[in-house]
Amino acid sequence: MIRFLSQLGRYVLLLQKVFSKPEKASIYYRQTMQEMIYLGFNSIGIITIISFFMGAVITLQTAYNTENPIYPTYLIGLGCRDSIILEFSSSVAALILAGKVGSNIASEIGTMRVTEQIDALEMMGVNSASYLILPKIIATLLFNPLLTLISIIVGIIGGWISGTLAGVITSEDFIYGIQYAFVPYYITYSIIKTVFFAFIITSVSAFQGYYVDGGSLEVGRASTKAVVFSSVLILLFNVILTQLLLS
Amino acid sequence: MIKIKNLNKSFNGNRVMTDISAEFEPGKINLIIGRSGSGKTVLLKSIMGLHEVDDGEIWFEDVIFNKLDFVGRKEIRKEMGVLFQGSALFDSITVEQNVRFPLDMFTNKSPEEKIDRVNFCLNRVNIINANNLYPAELSGGMKKRVAIARAISLNPKYLFCDEPNSGLDPITAILIDELIKELTEEFSMTTIVNTHDMNSVMGIGEKIIFISDGVKCWEGSKDEILHSDCDLLNDFVFANALARKLRSEK
Repeated sequence: MIRFLSQLGRYVLLLQKVFSKPEKASIYYRQTMQEMIYLGFNSIGIITIISFFMGAVITLQTAYNTENPIYPTYLIGLGCRDSIILEFSSSVAALILAGKVGSNIASEIGTMRVTEQIDALEMMGVNSASYLILPKIIATLLFNPLLTLISIIVGIIGGWISGTLAGVITSEDFIYGIQYAFVPYYITYSIIKTVFFAFIITSVSAFQGYYVDGGSLEVGRASTKAVVFSSVLILLFNVILTQLLLS
Repeated sequence: MIKIKNLNKSFNGNRVMTDISAEFEPGKINLIIGRSGSGKTVLLKSIMGLHEVDDGEIWFEDVIFNKLDFVGRKEIRKEMGVLFQGSALFDSITVEQNVRFPLDMFTNKSPEEKIDRVNFCLNRVNIINANNLYPAELSGGMKKRVAIARAISLNPKYLFCDEPNSGLDPITAILIDELIKELTEEFSMTTIVNTHDMNSVMGIGEKIIFISDGVKCWEGSKDEILHSDCDLLNDFVFANALARKLRSEK
């Protein structure tokens, strides 16, 4: 318990350093743009592939588990849409990003720590925590909602293609289903969750990397911890946010 | 001028530095020597403010550095240049961007002025036509020289070097030592060098402090070091066979 509180304290102190006034706004702006490419734009590929196949599987599973003449087939499209918007594109995509982006951030910052690059920044009078972490947080907070929207669109397209190719639903029924009883707030809900999850992934992973002590072995451990802790916190906050936003 | 007074430092109850006092003079190379694990790096990092001392004072001119807050330290740190043991160049940017980094961060120079300064610093350390290379593409000696170029880009008053020639062949090591000496004299910097290399000691050591187990055991010049009556220092200085042979012949 004491260890947990001590780590929590260090995390809060790190965030305090991260959100202090930047040395030079123009450099932070440039860094943020670069991080958007590294952490956001470069994740479009994996999010697209996974969303497409998850959408496809969700549609097929919904179809095979609701084979009942009472249910109209357009409900398959509706089920696919709501599953993707409410849960998959925010939470499952966040778990995937925790693996990809989280380990990337922890290992990058951890390596900078063990090779004294962070010490070099500090010695130049640069607030290393803010310089290294703030652009990553801003980049993911801005870019991850876009990834969520891409995931929603691609997931639904994946469901539509797999459903029609497998013959479990007609194209017309699927399109009718994804428009039926649509609640626009679900998109807002998904994006709000994404923003929280983006902050968790980036800040927790950066924390793990920033306080690495040792060598390459410890950097590897920090990377693993970043993924594990981010994932657990995403799952925890998923429950809390769902209760808060949908109740 | 840097002065340290009665510095003590412990990690998890283990004392690694005990009551160390010294003065480091400007325009001179001040060496901290000692065996691996003797506390040299802890002392150097404490002077730079990367480790907090348990007690004692670190003076930069007439300011007690270790009593300053982050903002106060930041101002003095802008006058420090550091050469880390592993060079600590930023991997993801080029040589030119590495040397330019402090200029971008802390000056309002025009891009042309920055490039001129970068090229001046790189030429000064004999790095030619390497502006667009990444640190991974450089040899160990080149990395050290680029790190020195970065360290002097803001015309520092203080230069700290942690084992500047570790991992280098003897000839490159001498070149790095000579470069540090020339720059120290040229810019009248207060330079502190951590080393356990006796070639460096005899080559550039104007003022030398010997540390063993976190305690300052001896202080003097390179001329005095061979005639010391400190047994620990003699064990260190005459550790290799060649030095012992020369001593016995003498």
